[in-house]
Amino acid sequence: MNFTFLIKILLIPLLILLIAVFIIAPSNSKNESFAYITNQGEDTVSVVSLNDLIVQKKIAVGDSPLGIAIIDSKELAIIGNVDSQNLSIIDLKINEVIETIQIGTAPLGLTPDPSGEKVFITSWFKNQILVLSTKNFSVSKAFNVGVTPSGIAFNKKYNFIIITSRDANLVEIYNATDYSLHKKIKVGSHPYGISTSDKFIYVANVYDDTISIINLKNWEQKVIKVGLRPYNIISYKDKAYVTNAQGDNVSVINLHTFKEIKKINTGETPENISVDKLHGNLIVSNWGSDSITIIDIKTHKPVKQIKTGLQSRAFGQFIYTK
Amino acid sequence: MKKLTLFITAILFSVSVFAHGPTPQKVQESVTVNVSIDKAWALVKDFGAINKWHPAVKDIKIEKRGEDTYRILTLESGDKLEEKFRSIDEDLKKIKWEITKGNVPFSDFNTYIIVSKGANANESIIQWTARFYRTYKLNPPIPEGQDDATAKAAVQGIVDNGIAGLKKTLESK
Repeated sequence: MNFTFLIKILLIPLLILLIAVFIIAPSNSKNESFAYITNQGEDTVSVVSLNDLIVQKKIAVGDSPLGIAIIDSKELAIIGNVDSQNLSIIDLKINEVIETIQIGTAPLGLTPDPSGEKVFITSWFKNQILVLSTKNFSVSKAFNVGVTPSGIAFNKKYNFIIITSRDANLVEIYNATDYSLHKKIKVGSHPYGISTSDKFIYVANVYDDTISIINLKNWEQKVIKVGLRPYNIISYKDKAYVTNAQGDNVSVINLHTFKEIKKINTGETPENISVDKLHGNLIVSNWGSDSITIIDIKTHKPVKQIKTGLQSRAFGQFIYTK
Repeated sequence: MKKLTLFITAILFSVSVFAHGPTPQKVQESVTVNVSIDKAWALVKDFGAINKWHPAVKDIKIEKRGEDTYRILTLESGDKLEEKFRSIDEDLKKIKWEITKGNVPFSDFNTYIIVSKGANANESIIQWTARFYRTYKLNPPIPEGQDDATAKAAVQGIVDNGIAGLKKTLESK
């Protein structure tokens, strides 16, 4: 038996095994995902297992819960309760409310910063952004913004907090370090849901039945016709997905051609949308049919509808993967 | 003077229709009707026929404005209500419309009716869902008569009377 033969039969399989372990290991570290759905009509949050496609638990929160922020690094969900004007903090390890924080205003949109140390909250009535510290769960700062601040997003690349000022038809961009105003951009009528990527800002213009896609480099704005009453918008890879609340569908936008390529049927009055990356699905909350719709990202077909609770909304990124 | 008051009310209302607070309200009711799904759907989908089945509607006028279809309802109370047709889905047997003008204690009223199969061929289920907001948009305290409860009671009345009227009309034919 010569030495090269030994290498072939022993070392090569070992090398293959090592490579396989390195490829598989990272994807094995996260193997379960959940949707946390605020049910505004019954003051609860449904915990939906996206592995088993069942509602695992309902958690009682404050009055009329709407917005949500998931903080992966701290295993927390922050729920904004509009009518009781407080926040419910859910520990995602035990799925229980561990704190309730009064904020003295109706919380609308919530988004964490990349570190998970802060959550930014649009204060509908006070026309402010509140800064919640996740260390001690207190509002450490509030700064003034435009009227009826609604959707909110954090851009990591540019360190921006971006909001829609609904009744002013504006998008406002703030520096996330000193909270100074960076820019205001006129968009369509009644902008509500907003999200961002490294390249763009995506906005749903509810009354125009359009979306605006704003280029972060040169502020060029593309306006694209979608379905009836677009409510929220997200992007994933080279597509954007828009919930059309009165059209009962989701528009799929190609981000190379900036054209709508498909409409996918959902339940009644779809409002919010997040990506379940683990299973390659889009999850849509349906206010009208008290449910979520699961859509296969590859085929763009609805796979299943799951009953959640009365008036399911979940305004924000609502998927937790562990 | 009365005309002027009406005009002012109309202006105020048409503004309030397009602004609202953050909590939409929902009323959803259904009724089983002893007629076939096709018969029930034929009446429900006729946007110009609500005066035939809704007890609060006295008269109706259809208006085309460009691509859009509106109906102007004269109510038993004498008030006028303007509604805009949104869509019909023949597969789901669903009709959608919205209120665009009217002196009502709620705002942003979007609604749909779905007709589905009942337990047998001569039975169908009619479900009416409405989404709307209260009229007061600012921070609490909320003035009496402009709150969620007032808005909900008014819409509940419209929907309850409507589905009872649909059942009565369909089954008397």
